[in-house]
Amino acid sequence: MATTAPRTAGTRTPSAPPPGIRPDRTRLPRAFYWMVLPAVVLFLVFHTIPVLQGVFFSFTDSPGYGEWSFVGVDNYVALFTDPRVIAAYGFTFRFAFLATILVNAFALAVAIGLNARIKFKNTLRGIYFIPNVLSVLVIGYVFQYLFSGAVPTIATALGIDRLSTSILADPQLAWVGILILAVWQATAFNIIIYLAGLQTVPVELYEASSLDGASSWRQFRSITFPMIAGFFTINMVLALKTFLQVFDHIIALTNGGPGTSTESVGVLIYRGGFQGGEYGYQLANAVVFMIVIIAFAAFQLRVLQRREVSA
Amino acid sequence: MAPPRTVARLLVAGLAASTLVACSGGDGRTTLTFFQFKPEAVEYFEQRAAQFEAENPDIDIVVDNVPDPETALRARLVKDDVPDVLTLNGNGTFGELASAGIFVDYAGDPVLEDLNEGYVKILQDLGASDEGAVNGIPFAANASGVLYNVELFEQHGVEIPQTWDELIGAAQTFQAADVTPFYAMLGDAWTAQAPLAPLTAQTAPDGFFEARFAGEATFAEGWREAAEKELELFEYTQPNPAGFGYQEGTVAFAAGESAMLLLGSYAVPQIRSFEPDFTVGSFALPATDDPADTRLVSGVDVLVTAGAGGAHPEESRRFIDFLLEPDAVQDYAEQQVAIPALAGATNPDPALAGIQPYIRQERLVGFDDHQFIPAIPLGPLLQRLLIDKDADAFLDGLDDSWDRVAQRRTWGLGAVSS
Repeated sequence: MATTAPRTAGTRTPSAPPPGIRPDRTRLPRAFYWMVLPAVVLFLVFHTIPVLQGVFFSFTDSPGYGEWSFVGVDNYVALFTDPRVIAAYGFTFRFAFLATILVNAFALAVAIGLNARIKFKNTLRGIYFIPNVLSVLVIGYVFQYLFSGAVPTIATALGIDRLSTSILADPQLAWVGILILAVWQATAFNIIIYLAGLQTVPVELYEASSLDGASSWRQFRSITFPMIAGFFTINMVLALKTFLQVFDHIIALTNGGPGTSTESVGVLIYRGGFQGGEYGYQLANAVVFMIVIIAFAAFQLRVLQRREVSA
Repeated sequence: MAPPRTVARLLVAGLAASTLVACSGGDGRTTLTFFQFKPEAVEYFEQRAAQFEAENPDIDIVVDNVPDPETALRARLVKDDVPDVLTLNGNGTFGELASAGIFVDYAGDPVLEDLNEGYVKILQDLGASDEGAVNGIPFAANASGVLYNVELFEQHGVEIPQTWDELIGAAQTFQAADVTPFYAMLGDAWTAQAPLAPLTAQTAPDGFFEARFAGEATFAEGWREAAEKELELFEYTQPNPAGFGYQEGTVAFAAGESAMLLLGSYAVPQIRSFEPDFTVGSFALPATDDPADTRLVSGVDVLVTAGAGGAHPEESRRFIDFLLEPDAVQDYAEQQVAIPALAGATNPDPALAGIQPYIRQERLVGFDDHQFIPAIPLGPLLQRLLIDKDADAFLDGLDDSWDRVAQRRTWGLGAVSS
């Protein structure tokens, strides 16, 4: 990416201030502080303080109301031996990795197609963006109807036994349904980012390479992909982060079932914390999960950005 | 342009003023929040609230009907925002909240005098803020057993089963005649708990839960028979039991597709809304081979209570007294095919005729699944049992989650105190 772009435009060149304007110079930055202040206050009050409160209550056995007492790190110790929690982490990671890879593969392929000189380019771009505008919950119910009604009916008519019952009712297959919905819905947003990226690639590069006789695969590997590597990083990080927090998809399709086979960490926190009354315990889970997500994002950024620079 | 500091002050003043405006009602009327949990009874309670407002012009009732009420209520409690008046289901969550002292104590209150004592006792057993406290007023009760298609039973010459073997025999008769004996609705995990309650209540040893709370019994022993019998019942369902939910099941039953439904009286209004052309009947689920041992599982479906330390105790009380007028309680019961919680009252509905003798003879037990706090995933485990058919995994899973939950909280499991 443009990591080495010279920073000239917009930077103020230091020049000796004319006498008498000195007070203005000190007032100007102060005005900026005032402009930033509301955002900082809002962020502190509505984000940072609740987070700290949450961390505090993760050291208690509070059900969210009434009496509670400190239990130290007991919640954290219990977390690491709770099979339900471990299963939820396992499900979430498997789901998030698969979904991230699939979404980025599809999005990149579709974006390259939509970037080519094809007919109805703008209409198609619009159509491909529609899933992103729809609410996950709403299409979730549509997909649920498809999986438990339409698909089994079609499969029965075609004689495919494996799909003649709803995959959402099968503990071994329910996650596939969730994956399909998630990938279908999330690809749209990544397409947009890739499209933006593809437009930054200079046409001359392709001209030069085609003169040298490069195949289109070679062009993609040696020009397109390295040139949009920054966009790839952003998409990977954002997609993984979103899929680790998967929640609406599951609520709409399986509600964590059958049994607890599609319980993601987010769903478990909601179920255990709010429905189950284990506020403190699930807060500890949420704190651990927050650290995990931050760690993953940081790790991804480091690895992928290093690759960007060397490309 | 005003100096920044003045702007900030103005902003702060403006914000403060707007919150003040939001707090005051304006016209001097008291506003009561009425948290109403039962989706089937929204219309009834909204009408009652409107009648009350007409008689009491100084009070304004805001009826708050929410989906997933228990979660919504917990979220309100986290914000210290306890509704003034509530209707709730008498289950484990109520017991947990009552034990935490969220609700008013009605012990010794004249309001309890005209009520069926058995139901007051059931609520007390679920959980109480103090020894002997009564934190809810029973309003309507339900019963969980078996709903059946009276015409189909007559057509196939099947008698009302009095024992477990007769129940299985009836199921086999229907299966042989190509009628689905029980319509399974495993898509909604809770529906599997409906037959589990009578099975465990009749097959688990006496005092099982007291012993379990004390750590002297296990589900693996005490509930094994119930788990196996539940599995046996689900051998007589339509194919793909997990593919259908409560909605599909009640529709199918109303359409005459299955002979029986393993649900309680609460499902009757839903079934009737699809206008079945047969009579819905009910009987208590016999889990043993001695008809004298059969007990009807009954619990408080709707209770009325108020938040402790509410801002308007006098007004809340007036509203509660209004809700509990005996005629209104009876009306509700008849509309909703429920059992009125009034002493000596009955509901002449034909759908309840089969279980009426049990109520009269007080051959009742509470819902065992109400002893579970929701942190123990009974519903999902049970759903899994009926899909995978692995009784050991289910029972060990219950024991394991029970022990884990017990270990990580210091304030007890709720209902029966150890």
